[in-house]
Amino acid sequence: MTVASPAGDTLFEHAACGLLLARTDGVIVRVNATLCTWLGESAESLMAGRKLQDLFTIGGRVFHHTHCLPMLQVQASVAEVQVDLLHRDRSRVPTLMNIARRAEGDAVYDHVAFFITVERRSYERELMLARREAEAALEARRGAEAQLQALNAQLSRDDRRKDEFLATLAHELRNPLAPVRNAIELLKMKAGAAGPSRPLQVLERQVGHLAHLVDDLMEISRITRGQVALRRQPIDLSHAIRAAADDAMPVVSAAHHSLALSLPSVPLCVDADATRLMQVVLNLLTNAAKYTPPGGQIWLAASREGDQAVITVRDTGIGIPAQSLGTIFEMFSQLTPALDRAQGGLGIGLALVRGLVELHGGSIRADSEGEGKGSVFTLRLPALPADDAAAAPVAPAPARAAPEQLRILVVDDNPDATETMCAMLELHGHLTRSAHDGAGAQQAAAAFKPAVILLDIGLPDMNGYEVARRLRAAPGGEALFMVAATGWGQEDDRQRALSAGFDHHLTKPIDFARLQLLLAEALAR
Amino acid sequence: MDLQRRNNVQVRGDGPVTVVFSHGFGCDQSMWRFLTPAFESRYRVLTYDLVGSGGSDASAYHRDRYGSLQGYADDLLEIVEHYCDGPVILIGHSVSSIIGLLATVKAPERFAAQVMVGPSPCYINDEGYTGGFSREDIDDLLLSMDSNYLGWSSSMAPAIMGVPEQPQLGAELTNAFCRNDPDIARHFAKVTFLSDHRADVAKSTVPALILQCSDDIIAPMTVGSYMKEHLPNSELVVIDNVGHCPHMSAPTASSQAIASFLERIPA
Repeated sequence: MTVASPAGDTLFEHAACGLLLARTDGVIVRVNATLCTWLGESAESLMAGRKLQDLFTIGGRVFHHTHCLPMLQVQASVAEVQVDLLHRDRSRVPTLMNIARRAEGDAVYDHVAFFITVERRSYERELMLARREAEAALEARRGAEAQLQALNAQLSRDDRRKDEFLATLAHELRNPLAPVRNAIELLKMKAGAAGPSRPLQVLERQVGHLAHLVDDLMEISRITRGQVALRRQPIDLSHAIRAAADDAMPVVSAAHHSLALSLPSVPLCVDADATRLMQVVLNLLTNAAKYTPPGGQIWLAASREGDQAVITVRDTGIGIPAQSLGTIFEMFSQLTPALDRAQGGLGIGLALVRGLVELHGGSIRADSEGEGKGSVFTLRLPALPADDAAAAPVAPAPARAAPEQLRILVVDDNPDATETMCAMLELHGHLTRSAHDGAGAQQAAAAFKPAVILLDIGLPDMNGYEVARRLRAAPGGEALFMVAATGWGQEDDRQRALSAGFDHHLTKPIDFARLQLLLAEALAR
Repeated sequence: MDLQRRNNVQVRGDGPVTVVFSHGFGCDQSMWRFLTPAFESRYRVLTYDLVGSGGSDASAYHRDRYGSLQGYADDLLEIVEHYCDGPVILIGHSVSSIIGLLATVKAPERFAAQVMVGPSPCYINDEGYTGGFSREDIDDLLLSMDSNYLGWSSSMAPAIMGVPEQPQLGAELTNAFCRNDPDIARHFAKVTFLSDHRADVAKSTVPALILQCSDDIIAPMTVGSYMKEHLPNSELVVIDNVGHCPHMSAPTASSQAIASFLERIPA
């Protein structure tokens, strides 16, 4: 038995793909029945001078022109080209096309094969769509990220501006405080043995609060701006805690609280700035005293837990509601504004405490069982090894004495400030003159021949550094004892002052006790 | 900048004047292989690839710079400046004839003559202008670019069917010709087919030969006539050819037309 095989012609005509033969200019010379069926055309019509590219859509024609023809020219074949053929009814027939260019004797023909790709094309469209969507999503994400970045930049700009504003505000508030404090000192001295009157006492106390608040504000803004440098050295925590407890005693006893201290029997050393650490503990104690109803109990304890030094301040006070525990260390977070105001708090103290503790590499947390049930503040610092006990004690309070007379020139653009400062100095037996700008300072220095010049940096006509340089360069200038006074108690101010020829630098408002120490130094020269 | 690397610049032949060949959309400098031999005996011949095509440095392709044809024109001027002394003869195909036109407008002193093969200043029909395409046609074109470039990348070329009677075909070309980065090709297509430089045509005063194919859907006869009419110092020669690449399918007729044009212009 023989199996019938299709004749060659049948194989061409009814192949499972569309076949077409064209001249190199595209004119169709043969086409099989399969392709005719797909296109709804007759072979006669297609071979009546029509061209291969006429079967394509416009896009296909351009691609054929710009890609297929040059490739046929160079490499005589193209493979797997996607083209849409146009059906007689103008509908599209998606196909995949291969072309091979062959010489047949003298003539050259393009052999073209088409495969229908409806399914494949829709699959590829989906792929393409998915890819586009992915690209669009990526683009959108990039856009969102850029927006977020811009927003973040804006936020940190705003934050920086807020910090700068606070620093400026603190600075501006500090300046008028100086003459006010001086005036109070004067009034107290004049009161003599009778002691200050009650209104004066109120004034002194409240100005003290105000100065304290402004200092806190200044400190916190310096911490947030990274301008605080710690003077760290190994210290015994017990010394610092005792000193803080001593300082807190007036507040504690005024509210009839009792304060219980529990300190380790062996030295517990930390690498810390003693003044700052005292400030932290004092702040916590003052808070405890403030927020505990009169007659309460405060416990202050220090102990070692492994490689940490732990300080706790516990009270029987009003406590902290659970929802506020997470935010009380943030600036201006207030539990109950009305209550806070009554207690004279701005919400700066705890933010300052946390800032200082974190500068020391430590941590602080607050716990409370609820309102009316007291609070516990737990402060943890890295402890030094137990045997490293060569700790320096907290510096003792400075002695004050400056009995002899000095000629002192006070320069400040604020007449209140110069007037009160001069009065204070004269009460202490010194001779004074004042000037209010750089030119005046130079004239006064030449005429009055002072031994000491107290010079404000912010003068209207020239800055104090320049004035100092000129005074130093003037005849007799090298013997002058010059003290700079600025509102910005910053390290670089200090450096600038010293390099401009100042002997010392003080931060306004000027601590009169410190000034007297400097005057003693001037006298000793 | 390394222009050689950026544009795959190739210099051959010897002569007092340099002929610069700039290829068109879709391919690369290899498409000049049938035409350049006719020039190499009398001229210094420079061919290069547009950035994003052929052997150019694809990393130099920045969508901003190549978001208009002016970016390519600036590249061309940099190449002329760097590689050539006197004024050059420029032969540009298709979109490169317009790129060349922009270069001659910007620096006419650098060009002695321009040969434009199948130029079109604007592909889309407009009032009183027949570019040959509607906006829908162009969208259809961009779509077929998409589908044809879908699976293409420089690392994955489809198998080329064996064609034994092509001895002139170098092996290096077999798999590389017209294989451009799909994303760049799509962007280049968009920039090319949406461009409209009709306003620049009248600004070019460099002597020009417009080489027009008799049957070319990319640059139909109407566009050739428009160019002749608006380009100040131009002549039009029609080559009997189907398609858009007479320099490939009719290289002899093309080189003869160019040679006779070059004889007529002052050296």
